[in-house]
Amino acid sequence: MNSVAIAVSPWQRVWSAYVRSTTRHPALASLVPFVPVVALWAVVARSGLFPPAFFPGPGEVVQKFFTLMANGILPAYLEDSVIRLAAGTAVGLAIGIPLGLLVGLSDRAHRALWPVLLFFQAIGDIAWLPILLIWFGFGLTTMIFVIVYTVLFPVVLNTVLGVRSVPLELHRAALSLGASKARVVWEVVLPGALPNIMTGLRNGLGFGWRALIAAEIIVGTSGIGFLMFDARRAGSVVEILLGMIVLGVLWYVVDSWVLAPIERATGERWGLVHR
Amino acid sequence: MKSLTITRLQKTYFDPFAAKQVTAIRDISLAVDAGDFVSVVGPSGCGKTTLLNTIAGFLAPTAGAIHVDGHAVSGPGPDRGVVFQSFALFPWRTVLDNVAFGPKMRGVPKARRHEIAREYLALAGLSHAAERYPNELSGGMQQRVGVVRALANEPDVLLMDEPFASVDAQTRMTLQEELTRIWEQRRCTVLFITHDVNEAVFLSNRVIVLSHGALLDDIAVDLPRPRAWDALIESAAFKVLTARVLQQVRAA
Repeated sequence: MNSVAIAVSPWQRVWSAYVRSTTRHPALASLVPFVPVVALWAVVARSGLFPPAFFPGPGEVVQKFFTLMANGILPAYLEDSVIRLAAGTAVGLAIGIPLGLLVGLSDRAHRALWPVLLFFQAIGDIAWLPILLIWFGFGLTTMIFVIVYTVLFPVVLNTVLGVRSVPLELHRAALSLGASKARVVWEVVLPGALPNIMTGLRNGLGFGWRALIAAEIIVGTSGIGFLMFDARRAGSVVEILLGMIVLGVLWYVVDSWVLAPIERATGERWGLVHR
Repeated sequence: MKSLTITRLQKTYFDPFAAKQVTAIRDISLAVDAGDFVSVVGPSGCGKTTLLNTIAGFLAPTAGAIHVDGHAVSGPGPDRGVVFQSFALFPWRTVLDNVAFGPKMRGVPKARRHEIAREYLALAGLSHAAERYPNELSGGMQQRVGVVRALANEPDVLLMDEPFASVDAQTRMTLQEELTRIWEQRRCTVLFITHDVNEAVFLSNRVIVLSHGALLDDIAVDLPRPRAWDALIESAAFKVLTARVLQQVRAA
């Protein structure tokens, strides 16, 4: 068979090199897209368009990062924020998944609770802050409450969706193979709803993280949100930018090191979720 | 010995939109011998799937009774294995763990239930697929797993709800021959729902024709076994039987 040779363009060579090197070193794939962003930032900062105190460059932020790491402020604040988020998320899941199972499985619970859930979902996390500050004061309870509240609703609502998406036939198959109703929940409903529960967790964590920063700004005595707001008082744009970058990096880490691997090992593996 | 006895079964639904009762099963009495292979055929809406769902215990009868090995049916249970048209495999379990699911619910230890599952997978020529997930298999393979999963739980009666309706025609013939071979070896009691007259005659010892929720005809199939499509498709006896069943289904 004759074939017409089509020359490989230089761009295709570059693309091929990129694809091959990122496959070999996955970390590159996460870092390379930021190169133009940081470059643009550096160019604008260097151009003198804005006063350096208002618009510092990447170099100063990196310097600040090392200073705050060295004096222990950044690690301590980061730890506080992450522990608050983790604790709030754990409690949110512990309440949200069983509640979602109940509302998803029982028609009566669905009728009784669904409108209430939608109502309270609408009162966004930080809309609770004024009353929480009166009830619990400026402290950990207020912050945890806000995170639990924020994580809870996406988890509950998505769990309900997930439970209701499990085909009736799978319930029936399990019962016919001798499973009790309680076993069906564990063996069929929960794994069947897992992809949706993961979506709920992903949304909940995303909202929770934002709510935490907001709560720390208002309530704060420590944490990344507090760091940023405190920096505003001192007029340190460098620290504010550093705080913003930490938020982004941390989310990226949670997503790619925790959430995505779980999703690959479950829903995508089972063919319930198509990428 | 009767394995499955259905006495004056009746099933009506209430349709809240039309505000009236809809009759799915008017009056069915039927007894299936232990070790028999009985098919139920009939046009859409004749009540054959409702019949199976009621025997399986997924639906409660409006009146009448169902007994399996002398025990009254009052809900789903492992004495009645079900094979679904949609396969209904658990996507999060490997093929092996799907087949081992019934024994697991009975509390059989892991090593033993995997041994059982491997035995049954070998019966359907599926040993190579044991560690795969259902979504990695073709429709025909998935339904082989569905059949084997029901068999591995050693039910008194195997209920099959148009199990081969959603696979392609060639695969369907292969599956029918495999099912016949397995049945000829094991002689389990089977109630097989289908709308395919050829399939019903090929597989069964007895074909029941349903019409509007009642028994229209009960036809004995005395074709010799073992059965294979290559031989039967040309057989005059097969043609006579299918013609008779088809005539009844069309009259139904």
